[in-house]
Formats: sequence, structure tokens, C-alpha cells
Amino acid sequence: MTGATRMKGATRLICIVVLLALVLAPLGLPPFAMTLLTEAVILGLFAMSLDLMFGYTRLVSFGHAAAYGFGAYASGWLLLHTGMPLLFAVFAAGLLTGVLAIGIGWMCTLATGVSFSMLTLALAQLLYAISFKWTSVTGGSDGLAGIPRTIGPFGFAALSSKAGFYYLALGCLVGGFLVCFALVRSPFGAVLRGIRENESKTTALGYNTRLYKIAVVAISYGLGGLAGALYAPFAGFANTELLFWLLSGQVLIMVIVGGAGTLIGPVLGAAFFMLMEHQLSAWTEAWALYFGLIFIAFVLFAPEGIWGLATRLRRAHPRP
Amino acid sequence: MSTFGLLLSQFADALSQSALLFFLGVGLTLIFGLMRIVNFAHGALYMLGAFVGYSLAHWSGNYWVALAGAPMLVGLFGVAFEFSILRRLYRRDAHAFLMVTFGLALVLGEAVRLTWGSDALKVAAPPALSGVIFLLDEPFPVYRLFLAATGIVVAVAIWQFLERSRLGLLIRATSQNAEMANALGVDIKLIRSCVFGIGCGLAALGGVLAAPLVTASNGMAATVIIDAFVIVIIGGMGSFLGSLIGALLIGFVQVFGNYYAPDFALAFMYLVMLVVLVVRPGGLLGKEA
Amino acid sequence: MSGQFRPSRRAMLKVGLAATATVASPAVLRSARADTGPIKIGLPLALTGALGSVGQQQKRGAELWAKVQNAKGGILGRQIELLIEDTAGNPANCVRKAQEMVERRDCRLLTGITLSSEALAVVPKLAEWDSIFISSDNGDGRLTAESLVPNFFRANISGPMGTRAVSLYLRSAKLQKFYALGLDYAWGHNSVQVFEQETTKSKKEFIGKVFAPTGTKDYSPYITKIRQSGADAVFLVLQGDDNNAFLSQAQQYRLPEKVKLLTEIVDLTSIRAVGDASLGLIGSSRYSFTYDHPLNGEFVALWKKEHNTVPDTFEGEQWQCMKVFEAGIVKAGGIEAAKLRPALEDIEIESVKGKVHIRKCDHQGVQQGFMVEVVKKPGFDTPVPEVIATFPGDETTPTCNTMTFKD
Repeated sequence: MTGATRMKGATRLICIVVLLALVLAPLGLPPFAMTLLTEAVILGLFAMSLDLMFGYTRLVSFGHAAAYGFGAYASGWLLLHTGMPLLFAVFAAGLLTGVLAIGIGWMCTLATGVSFSMLTLALAQLLYAISFKWTSVTGGSDGLAGIPRTIGPFGFAALSSKAGFYYLALGCLVGGFLVCFALVRSPFGAVLRGIRENESKTTALGYNTRLYKIAVVAISYGLGGLAGALYAPFAGFANTELLFWLLSGQVLIMVIVGGAGTLIGPVLGAAFFMLMEHQLSAWTEAWALYFGLIFIAFVLFAPEGIWGLATRLRRAHPRP
Repeated sequence: MSTFGLLLSQFADALSQSALLFFLGVGLTLIFGLMRIVNFAHGALYMLGAFVGYSLAHWSGNYWVALAGAPMLVGLFGVAFEFSILRRLYRRDAHAFLMVTFGLALVLGEAVRLTWGSDALKVAAPPALSGVIFLLDEPFPVYRLFLAATGIVVAVAIWQFLERSRLGLLIRATSQNAEMANALGVDIKLIRSCVFGIGCGLAALGGVLAAPLVTASNGMAATVIIDAFVIVIIGGMGSFLGSLIGALLIGFVQVFGNYYAPDFALAFMYLVMLVVLVVRPGGLLGKEA
Repeated sequence: MSGQFRPSRRAMLKVGLAATATVASPAVLRSARADTGPIKIGLPLALTGALGSVGQQQKRGAELWAKVQNAKGGILGRQIELLIEDTAGNPANCVRKAQEMVERRDCRLLTGITLSSEALAVVPKLAEWDSIFISSDNGDGRLTAESLVPNFFRANISGPMGTRAVSLYLRSAKLQKFYALGLDYAWGHNSVQVFEQETTKSKKEFIGKVFAPTGTKDYSPYITKIRQSGADAVFLVLQGDDNNAFLSQAQQYRLPEKVKLLTEIVDLTSIRAVGDASLGLIGSSRYSFTYDHPLNGEFVALWKKEHNTVPDTFEGEQWQCMKVFEAGIVKAGGIEAAKLRPALEDIEIESVKGKVHIRKCDHQGVQQGFMVEVVKKPGFDTPVPEVIATFPGDETTPTCNTMTFKD
């Protein structure tokens, strides 16, 4: 009993230290490391958003790129064509994605299991096709380029700088985490877990599981859209690749390799995935081979993912 | 070309295209039906089949050797992979299969590039099949007729195999209820290895048959994996007949759709999938909803 | 309890110290390197994936140039260092890698970005990065039109230029009725549009067009459409796997017997992939080893010695691009964007394709246009593109900042 409480305290303190390091990062890290860190934070939010659906409710989405891509296009379009300040554009885009996802959730929850997953894929690919063809709005295959980090009134100028933007992204990640954390600890989260473990039993208990599923899809896509909305001004572009099924597959892998159902795990998984791909491809042209082997190794030797490994290591060294 | 001639050749096109799609989908559905594995590496196995076929054809100077050999070799690889790696994962979450097949797809894709290079490679159809026949005065490739015929032959063969043969019976039994089959003394491990091998072999068959039409290229895997999933989902995951129907549906929709409404070419497949899933969530002949 | 945290704190301290040390050093090194040290040129290429064969060509072209140049003592007495990395054709990776080359490795000269989607993502950042990008294969017309930025230069033949060469050739051809098939993205639409304009201008009949999504495996509907159209010839704007699939299937349908195949881009990789299905294909070539020019002869001989084969389209284009870099850096006396940019504007070099003049107004390299026909030639086991016509640069290059032509 006391061991478990201390364990939780230990986790909390480590998290605080890491958070402090993240907050202080711009003071110490060179420019490109900051660029990488910012992108890792954005991808981390994206992966974490999927975990809510995947890890906590066992809703396997093969179309989560739809959230990311839509968020990116939305914020990109707002920043390019309406002069809306960065902060508003990003949050508006995230909100818009969440609202759109209610419809997506409604449609996809018509089915369960693999059919649910395939519906998410179908909708994502349709969105991809639309973005490809609707050239006047999305720029077609070119996408939107030269997306500015528009400064607005009320002193948002600070956000356009490298460090400022990083804090915006970090803020979104931490905020998103707190929202998810609160959700999974709440009665709502309990129902999600009920759906994950045994949906028919949960329905029998009187819960309208479909409504809960739609809600979690909306929140999950909304946060994923927020991540995408951050990506567009970060990289300066939004294009059809951000909506493509490959990215959906990759983010799913990020969640699994990080540790599904842990919220923090997927963030680590996203950072790991991105950094591994980046470094391996700098080291060798055959990087995809090693990359694939790493995942196979994870499946065989570290099934609970990175977070699982970290927890396992900590438990292996108990306090004296 | 008269309207009838046009329709006739389009019909023949659609049939040949459906055959290719069928080869792609049937392996995936068999694997899923038995093992509940969503095989992300299916496209890579298709591609591997095309390249192995290239090498066999090159080495023997004969396409038929490639046609017979590539599916067998890739099938054996599938058996080996199932035996060494997948076997350990059956008691685990479905996540494990997602990630392991994702990893396999990456490994295979790069292995192909390292072995055969980045350039696309020519795989010639055999001289006997390189000609044309005339459908109402318009040339139509004999090779495509061969594809359609092969599709029918393989479909019937698999059907008979599943319905009539002992192994087919065991496969069907295990797909329906693995525990019961196990309790009845069926060697589940062997069945699984066989089915995974057969699934991989069928994917490779698709690849080697498609190669004279599209060449053996590194981009192949990515372009077919989605098609495979769509066909199987439309037909119903795990249903052999479903994969046939799915292939026919998509083949016809694409050939006629791309001709009459080319602007929607990118979207057709997904629209059909969406409609089918909304109307029948498990797919046309699927069991799960 | 405290025992569990000291390691973390110590680790944090170590990280902090290391980070501070890393932050301090680049500043010192940077000022030293700017004037001496190797000249770094970055190439974030698609070395794997569907367009891997194009990226690999660009890599080989750049590497041979660097090798030869370094053997001569480099440029301005400084050795050339190529930073080559794989983006797998993903714009997000391309931007990240290009940014790393700029921010971490202090490399502000970029080339060899394979996909137009990647180029379009990188181009708006050039000013922020204070970097010069000279394109060696990006054909999108808008890169020198609406999307032009001061730090972008194009050494290669663009899509509109290739299309124009085909159109000029057709003016004296007997073919009258044309259909067009392009890939359904920016480049395809762009080139087909130019072709349509040019065809109408020369009073010939443009019957219709159709676009196929990238990744199309079955071209039978499109082949049927072309055949049904009643056209004498079809203008193709396809590349890579799509091009190979179409050519293979078109031959199987005996389409070339009825409709002449014209194409915007001809390359050896495609010819090898489809074999005899490419015979009789007439199209624009961005570079051909068969072009008769002393510098090309030297280059081809050099290439044969190094690689035991003849150079392909993008190998030649990349070589030319590196030559433009070389001339610019020599003229500027340095590599800083502020010096290099004006040096590159209006520069003229004699290259493997003849004279290349970088226009000041839109940074496009004005150069000859080539028309080739794919024929069997003794001494080669696959067909080769034989040059059948050339057009002067000022006739094939669009008016400044546009994708249209004067006459």
C-alpha cells in the first residue's frame, strides 16, 4: 500500500522534473535541437490524443491523420487568408476538428471492431481525396505554403519566435494531458474502460456506449486537430501527406511503441519514432530496415512499450 | 468503336482488374479469418512476389517458372515468419500484430530495395500471352484475358480447397472456433502456419501476375495495401466469397467509374466502402458487425 | 525516497552542462568556418520510396561532380562537402532535414529536392534560413512564377519548357488532333494546360484531356478514352511508376499503332523498365547522353568510367546544376546568400546541354529544348533517346514570371 503511494509520488516528481527541463529547454538547447523538440511536442500531442481512443477505449483508428491534417489545413487557411492571430487560429482549428469529429464519430460508431477501424480509414481517405481535388481552398496537391505565424493584437508577438512557439506547443501538450488525465480519472473514463473491457456488459449496465464512443472520438480528434493546427505554422505548410493513411499508421505505432493506455507513453513513443527515423536516416540509407527491426524487437521483448520499460526499470530498483 | 464494342472491352478490362484485386484480397482475408491479424505487410509481400518473379524469370528465361516459383518462395517465407515470430504473439493483444506487421512491411520494403535497387524492373509476359485478340475489331490484350481466366481458376480452386479438402475443412473449423477445434485435436499451430503461408503466397501471386502490367517497382507496396484492405472490408473480413465479391465490385467500379467520371477516380473506392459499411457494418458477407 | 531522485537530478545537471557547452561552441566555430573550411552543399533527397530512383540519380550526379571538383582543388581553394540525406519523399522530413542542415550544420546551399511537394514546403523558408536553393529537377512552373522567392533558382528545364519543346516540334508535324493524359496533381495539370494553350495557338485541335491519380495501376479506362477520342496523338504528362504502367499497358493494347505517343519527359530508367514498349515514343528530354556537345561528350565518358553506364536524365540535370553553383560561387567569391544571389542572377555558363543563362527576372535557367525519339541503336541493349530536334532557349522559355509564351 505505502509502496504504491510512494511509487505514484515518485512518478509525479519525475514528471515535474522533466516538465521543468522542458520549460527551461530554450535557455540551453541549440536552435535545431529546439526545432526537433518542438516537433516532438506537437507529435506527442497527436499521439496522446489517439491514446484516448485507442488505449482507453480500444477504438482502433486507422484514420487519425484526418484529425491532424484537417487541423493543419484549418489553421493554415485561417492564418493565410484571414489574418487571424496565431493563438486564435490554432485553437479555432482544434475546435473545428473536434466538431467535425462528432460527425465522424457518429458515422464510424455505426460499426464496431475492425469495421469501425475501416470506417475511420474510409473517411480519412475521402478527406484526403477532397483535399487533393478541392484546389481552390486546399491548394490541391501543392497544399498551403508559406503559412505565417501571424502576430495579433494583445501582445502575441512573443508566440511567433522560436521559443515562444515552443511554449505554445508545450502549453497545448501539457493542457491536453491535464484534460485527458482528468477525463480518464473521472466517471467518464471509467465508462471508457468499461467499453474497453466489455462493451456489452457496460451497455447492460445502462450506459449508452455509443454516445460515449462518439464523445471520445470527438475529443480525441479535437486534440489531434490541435496538434495539426500547431504543425502548420510550425513547419509553414500543410499538404495532403498530412492526411494520408501512412501517417495514420505511423501514429498508431507511436502509441503502441510508447505504451498504449498510459497517456505519457504515446508522447514518448512519438518523440522516439521521430528521433529514431531522423537519426537512422542520417546514418544509413537502409534506415527503414533497422526501423522495422526495432519495432519487431519491441513487440517481442518490450510489449508494454517505452513507458512499460521505464516503469519496469523503476520497479526493478526499489528504494532500500 | 461501337457502343457494344466499348462495353465489351470495358467488361473484359473490369474482369481482369477484378482478378488482380482478388489475388490481392483473398490472402488478406484468409489470414484475418483465421488469425484475426490485420497484415500491414500484405502490400510488401505482393511487391516481394513481383521482384522474386523478376529474378526467377530472368534466371530461367521463362515467365512460367516465375509464376510457379514466386508464390511458393514467398509462401515459404511466410511460413517461416509465422513460425519464428507470429507464433509467440497469439496470446497477446491485437496491438502486437499491428506493430509486428508494420515492422515487417518496413523491413521487406527496404530489403527489396537493397537487393534489387531503386529502379523499376521489367517483367515480360510470356510470348504466348503477349498478343492481342480482337473484340469487335478492337485489340484486347491476351494477357488480360489470361488474368481473368486465372482469377476464375484460382477462385474455384480455393473454394474447392476450402469446401472439399481436409485441410480446408480444418481451416474453416479453426476460423470459426479455434478453441473448439483445438479441443478436437486439430493442430492449430500447423493450420496457422499453413494459412499464413498460403496468404503470403497468394499476395505474391498477385504481384507476379501484375508485374507485366505495372513493372516490379519499389512503390508497389504502398499503392496496393489500401486496395487490399478495401476489398476485404467490403466483402467482409474473413469471408473468401466476400473477397471475390469485393474484388469484382471495386474492379467494375474503377474501370467504369474512371472512364465516365475520372474526377472521382481517387474517391470511388472509399465511397463504395463507406456506403457498404454504413448499410452492412460487417461488410457484404461479413460475420462481425 | 530521496535515493530514487538523486540520479535524476544528477542526470539533469549533466544534461544541462552538456547543453550549455554545446550552445557555446557553435558560435565560436561558426565564425571560423564561414570563410575557410569546406563548402557545404545540402541535398535532402528522396533516396528511398517510390521516387527513390530519381533521388539516387541526383545523388550520383552531385557526388561525381564533387569528386571531380575536389580533385581539382575544390572551389576557391575550399573542398566541397555534400550533405546527403534521405527524406523518403516526405515533405515534413524534407523540411526537417533541410532545417537541420541550415541550423545545425551551417549549410546554406541547397539543391536536389526531389519532389515538387517537398520543394514547395522548403521554398518559403529560404529567406528565414538565409539559404540559396538551386533546383535540379523541380519542374513546377509556378516556382518561377507566383511562388518565386529571391533565394530560389532553377537550373533545370521546367514542365512548361518541356511542354513548349513538344509543341514547337508539333508545329511542323502532320499531326492535327490531340488528346492529353496527365497525372492528377499540380505538374500534370500545369503541363497539360500549357500544351492546350500551345495547341490552340498553332491552330491545331485539342480534343480533350483526362487526369489519372498517382498510383493508378490500371490504365485501361484511360487507354480506352484516348482511343475513343479520335485523336492522332496523345500528350502524356506521366512519370515514374505511372509512366511505366501506362506505357506497358498501352503497348499491350496496341495503342501506339493508332495514336502517336508524345511525352513531356523521357528518361532511361523508364525505357529500361518498359523495354520495347517505349519504342517510337517522342518527347521532350531534360537531358540526354546522346546530345552532341563537347562538354557532354566529356561528361558521358567520365560517367562511363565511373559507373560503367551512360548518364540518365536527372544525373545530367544535377551535374549541370552543380556547375551553376560552381560558377556562382566563383563569381561571388563566397557562399553567403547576400553575395551569391546577385552573382547567380544573369550568370551564364557553357554546360553539357549547351549554353545556360540564369535570368535575373525569374531565376530560370534559359537553355535549349530537346526533342528525342526512342529508337533501337546498335551497341545498346535497350532503346535509347535519339535527339531529333533542338530549339533555342529563348523560344522554349516562358516570358518572365509566367508560364506562357510570346508567340
